[in-house]
Amino acid sequence: MLHLLEYWAARLALFGVDLLPPAAASRWAAALGSLWWTADRPRRRVAISNALRAGVADDVRQARAIGRGAARHMGMVLVESMKSALVLDDPERLRVHVPEDVAAVLEDPDRGLIVVSGHFGNWEIAGQWLSRYKPVAGISRPMNNPRVQKLALERRQRGAFRMIPKYDPDPGRFLKLLGDGEILALLVDQHARQGIDVLFFGHPAKTHTTAAMLHLVARTPLTFAVCRRTAPLTFELTLSRLIEQQRSGDRNADVQAILRTLNSLLEEAIRRDPDQYLWGHRRWR
Amino acid sequence: MDADGTSEVLARLRDVLRDSAVEEHDWDAVGPETPIESLGFDSLTILDVLYDVEEEFGIALDPKQVVKTRTIGEIIALLQQNGA
Repeated sequence: MLHLLEYWAARLALFGVDLLPPAAASRWAAALGSLWWTADRPRRRVAISNALRAGVADDVRQARAIGRGAARHMGMVLVESMKSALVLDDPERLRVHVPEDVAAVLEDPDRGLIVVSGHFGNWEIAGQWLSRYKPVAGISRPMNNPRVQKLALERRQRGAFRMIPKYDPDPGRFLKLLGDGEILALLVDQHARQGIDVLFFGHPAKTHTTAAMLHLVARTPLTFAVCRRTAPLTFELTLSRLIEQQRSGDRNADVQAILRTLNSLLEEAIRRDPDQYLWGHRRWR
Repeated sequence: MDADGTSEVLARLRDVLRDSAVEEHDWDAVGPETPIESLGFDSLTILDVLYDVEEEFGIALDPKQVVKTRTIGEIIALLQQNGA
């Protein structure tokens, strides 16, 4: 029932998006996000609890405000992802900061790159911008709601940005992509049942190891991307300097070190703009 | 013992596979003809195995070469080419 409700809410949002000019569509989606915040009590509770646990809110009132802001933000992400050309084609709407070491990799067609981010800001814009340099494969798990997933895939503008499943029976799939000079994009902040515990805002959270292991095994450069909204339909995309971890021979220790670094970078971004983060996900279980 | 040390490399490789693999498998039955795809690794679990193989043999494998291998025998040959 909830899935059906979510699906029709998404359809309603898209109807408004199609009818309205971009700025108005963004406001429309934010309003729907706010409405969703009011309606979805279980997710609201999770978001408030997470914001308090992370320490970005001092009390429930502040956590609630952050959660509502984040719900509005996620509505806007939906619109921006579909209207991304407007952002990507306008340098006034997208300021990009790329360190020299990352730029060198982007400009070399033979070198793969692992780009990590979280459900912060607009990760879709980041992926689509990167796909103007190299083909980007975004590793994802399907949304919980298959109806919304299908709708989202149909409506996004992707270009050379495609989604691929997290688990692939072909063992060499990710290694091949990186060997071909492509970008693998991963979001590392969802609960990973088979992952390892890594501190996230000071609390252990099961974290996917894929990005770290690919860096260690394929010896592919790794960077962290933050794409924060600075104004409606306007963003600042920042890529970190390359993160390099020398192998110690202790696989778990190496993976831990990389994931701690990635989580720290994500925490830094979230602390700056807590209302641009997906707090409704049960990160700590 | 074979002259080129293949048996020894195979034995060490089996030990790594046994320790690294998530799924149960009859590792003693694994030989040069065994297809890698029959061992139950996916695109994520293979990464743990490759790390452990490289550490065991003290070498760095070229991922582009690794993805071309189809059998355990080809992996052994690759390891030996890299000094194992």
